Amino acid sequence: MNHVLAIEDLSFWHGARQIIQRATFRAQAGEFVALLGVNGAGKSTLLDILAGLRKAQSGTVEVEGRDQRQWSPRDLAQRVSHLPQAVNSDLPFTAEQLVAMGRYPHTDRWFESEEDHKLIQQSMERAYCWQHRYRTFSTLSGGERQRVLLAACLAQDASTLLLDEPSTFLDIEQQLHCFSILREEAQQGKLCIAVTHDLNLALTHCTRLIILADGVITHDFSASQAHEDQSWLSLFSSRLRIDRTPAGTPWIWYQ
Amino acid sequence: MNNLRAASNASRNNLVASVATFFAAAVLLPWIGAGPISLTHVLHREAPDYNILIQLRVTRTLLALLAGGALSLAGSLFQAMLRDALATPYTLGITGGASLGAVAVIAGGWSTIWGIPGTWFGALAGSFSVMSLVVGGSLHVRRISASSMLLTGIAINSVCAACIIVLGGYSGMSRSFSIAHWLIGSIDSTSYTSLSVLSFMVVLLGGVILIQSRSWNLLAVGEQWAASRGVRVTTVMRTGYIAGSIMVAGAIALTGPIGFVGLIVPHLVRRKVSADHRVLLPCAFFFGGALLALCDAVGRVLIAPAEIPAGAMLALIGGPYLVWIIRQRKPLEEA
Repeated sequence: MNHVLAIEDLSFWHGARQIIQRATFRAQAGEFVALLGVNGAGKSTLLDILAGLRKAQSGTVEVEGRDQRQWSPRDLAQRVSHLPQAVNSDLPFTAEQLVAMGRYPHTDRWFESEEDHKLIQQSMERAYCWQHRYRTFSTLSGGERQRVLLAACLAQDASTLLLDEPSTFLDIEQQLHCFSILREEAQQGKLCIAVTHDLNLALTHCTRLIILADGVITHDFSASQAHEDQSWLSLFSSRLRIDRTPAGTPWIWYQ
Repeated sequence: MNNLRAASNASRNNLVASVATFFAAAVLLPWIGAGPISLTHVLHREAPDYNILIQLRVTRTLLALLAGGALSLAGSLFQAMLRDALATPYTLGITGGASLGAVAVIAGGWSTIWGIPGTWFGALAGSFSVMSLVVGGSLHVRRISASSMLLTGIAINSVCAACIIVLGGYSGMSRSFSIAHWLIGSIDSTSYTSLSVLSFMVVLLGGVILIQSRSWNLLAVGEQWAASRGVRVTTVMRTGYIAGSIMVAGAIALTGPIGFVGLIVPHLVRRKVSADHRVLLPCAFFFGGALLALCDAVGRVLIAPAEIPAGAMLALIGGPYLVWIIRQRKPLEEA
């Protein structure tokens, strides 16, 4: 089996505090993984390590069968894209200019080609933000910004998409749309890993759930088996119960 | 697709306009000054008109064009590196170091060294010391980040300002006056030797900075944003810091610390033309040079035969402009 992403025995310390403890998992093309856990469990740190933004003190990260550090930054960026939690820039880039930056690792051309522009437009249309293309990014609302960042990730056209809370600030319709796009990407052969706090969104759209508690991967199961072992629910709150919808998909209730 | 093409046409027109302004300034501004210059006298190489034009006015205009361009380009660069639209060559401590070096030379009484103004050596030495401190510090921690550069710059500026006051206290009346005059920043006639050294520096380092325009775009959004899209963040930031510092030091060594040009021009170009550094950087260079040369020319005639230094002229325009920008900020963000 060819793994797009494989981490083994990954540990990360911030000073004396251990954030990630011997994390191990492998993921393949076509999977849509939800990375779950309470605040401070180490989700974003793990995602940053996978994206190559932080270096783990021990353990290995393999991207497409090769050690992450052996890829050049550019080759890595062609394979792995990362959607940050927030982008703060004082400088007045337009939404379109921001999305165009996703094409950076793919070309040496001074300006984008027709083909790049086509891909930029497609990505922005898919993320419902094409109508904002001329607007200055900093003047957009939180949800509009989030859609622009998602479009930038899509325009990067990498085989692995790492998304740090892609549905924050989005209204319910947009949250569903965002997760549907990611599911489509996975169905087309990409690997998507998204950090989220919305358990039902994860259960209904993702294929696999990985749960972090205090830096340890405690659970790793496919979404269809979510109701079999319910011990993972208590990690989030004692008030959660899992059930099934009339359609048969797992669904979480809270009291 | 049409709108994209329209956008790139507009950028191209703006680029052409900035180059045209630059060269128009180079050709026209030397003719402006306290005394009129006759074209026929110049063509016949008759004194004093010919000498005034070629040795005083042309060198002065060229210096203003190069220095203004270099400072605007560096301003745009530092604003991208710090992701802060209010950063200037001042912010990173380079100007502070260069000023301290130049003031030390003036206070020591070395007016020229090997026929080149002593302040040049002082300013270069000062800014190199600052640069090695900041970059050396960043080598130690293996990364160079916006916040650490900003903090270091503020600290260095304060220390340099304090040292300048101490030096001023030790020097006599006339040297104190020279120090004050240098610190306000003025364009004086200079030798063609100094000009060719400066233009060599500006072309070389400006080229190094321009080539990385696409990377500056990504770095202006964020270091992680850039890193996860394939930019070699530390290498590019270090290159930018070193190239920008040397260019600023070379320019202000001849002019004194002229501040606002590196703030106003990038702002105007960003608002009126584009925030895209592939267009912004060259436009800022050409418009910045033309603006400083124009300020110098206006300063020559406004209260002739006395002169208003270009630095003061720019401050008169730049100060109110900065206040205006700050007042405009909030409504614009809500728009």
